[in-house]
Amino acid sequence: MTQSATALSPLDYDPFDYRTHDDPYPVYQRLRDESPVFHNKKYDFYALSRYDDCQQAVRDFKTFTSAQGTSLEELKAQVELLINTDPPVHSRLRHLTAGLFTPAKVAPLEQAVRDMAGELLVPHLAAGRLDIIDDFAARLPMAIICRLLGFRREDEDLLRSWTDTVVHRDEGVFAMPDEGMQATLRLYDYFNTEIAERARAGSTRDDIIGLLMAAQAEGRIDHEGVLGYIYILSIAGNETTTKLIGNMCYQLHRHPDQFDAVLADHSLIPGLIEETMRFDGPTQMMARTTTRDVTLHGTTIPAWKKVALIFTSGNRDERHYPDAEQFDIRRNPRDHLGFGGGLHACLGAALARLEARVAMEEILSALGHFTVDETNLARMHSPNVRGFTHVPVSFTPC
Amino acid sequence: MPSITYIPVDGAPIVADLSPDMTLMELALINDVPGIIGMCGGICSCATCLVHVDEGWFERLPAMTAEESEMVSVLDHATPTSRLGCQVRLDESLDGLTVRVAEPA
Repeated sequence: MTQSATALSPLDYDPFDYRTHDDPYPVYQRLRDESPVFHNKKYDFYALSRYDDCQQAVRDFKTFTSAQGTSLEELKAQVELLINTDPPVHSRLRHLTAGLFTPAKVAPLEQAVRDMAGELLVPHLAAGRLDIIDDFAARLPMAIICRLLGFRREDEDLLRSWTDTVVHRDEGVFAMPDEGMQATLRLYDYFNTEIAERARAGSTRDDIIGLLMAAQAEGRIDHEGVLGYIYILSIAGNETTTKLIGNMCYQLHRHPDQFDAVLADHSLIPGLIEETMRFDGPTQMMARTTTRDVTLHGTTIPAWKKVALIFTSGNRDERHYPDAEQFDIRRNPRDHLGFGGGLHACLGAALARLEARVAMEEILSALGHFTVDETNLARMHSPNVRGFTHVPVSFTPC
Repeated sequence: MPSITYIPVDGAPIVADLSPDMTLMELALINDVPGIIGMCGGICSCATCLVHVDEGWFERLPAMTAEESEMVSVLDHATPTSRLGCQVRLDESLDGLTVRVAEPA
């Protein structure tokens, strides 16, 4: 689409419109320039697209609350979760596990990630072909979060199919489809079974579920809260890391000079991760709800309206990043919005960085240079998640 | 009411009611203390919650982990009494604590 064609068409931001999923960035640029506080009249929500506004909003939870949910649709669950609470409730919940998610605390998982990565890659090396998502990236993060949560390896595929279904949105449909609700129930059943088995066995493991069960016994969280907590961790830790790995491989393919540079020097991988999180991150946006009238850039958002914080737009804001539309693995943007920001910033960010780094080290070591089969790329359709369901690659068999 | 005082880089001190079990970083965000960003939400990954603790108070804080110590030690703008706000869990014994918000890196 040419520049003049987009300039003539009416500006609209509709995250449920599949047509924009391939390349939403021209629309985001127009939003930033023409309508930094955009009102989607069809669904009556607002959208912030500039870096500074998104960063301010994630810090200012009193004005932009998470208590009404972080999706644009109405919040169905009334259970207090990490994702839909503000301080002090949020702080109490986050403290239950935050200590397990610092870089030093997740570092011991490195060998497990490396071993699993190797296991997943080896069967495909002789063929010189694999699907980065199906054969690798879809399985690796789920395997690690299952290990963290203490679930059985043989259950990983089933859990992943349920969590994928929970995240999916049908085209043009605002709310979670029935299949998503069913998948949620199945996940809760599974968690209940796991918890009951641990209780029966008198298990006192100090992993995440062990910590949550102990907190429940001390009255610091109720049973529904424990289930909801595990639910959030199962989804958050799975989908997004998968998409990050796929997006990194895709961007390397699209930027051959930088691909060569990373192949020659793996110390560039952390920079690749941060720049992919900025340039093409897996989380497009999270919503908040205004608690009062807010006026920004001359537009007033009334109280109690949903506001989409478009992180993938803020991350391309030339007001904050020079040459924002250029992908540069040497940029090292540690202040990107790819993990959100403020008190709800991604709890699993250190784990995601670890997995992404080790995954790329193993992919590049095993495959060397690869080529993405662009005709068979398939994109996931979701208002929140940005990435592929298939990234087929070919490489020199070994 | 027990309280903590934050001194921003520019501007008047902000006196915050001390909530036990909150961290210095969380309390700062709750009280809109300028200059404390908390970009990583408290998982010891960004150092945008760095504060300089007044002498006399530094020894009274809960000890630093090796991880926090390592993170602070590589910061150009850290002093010998700097702490990452997200790693300091508050309790009533810290009533009256005063910290200065670090200049941006």
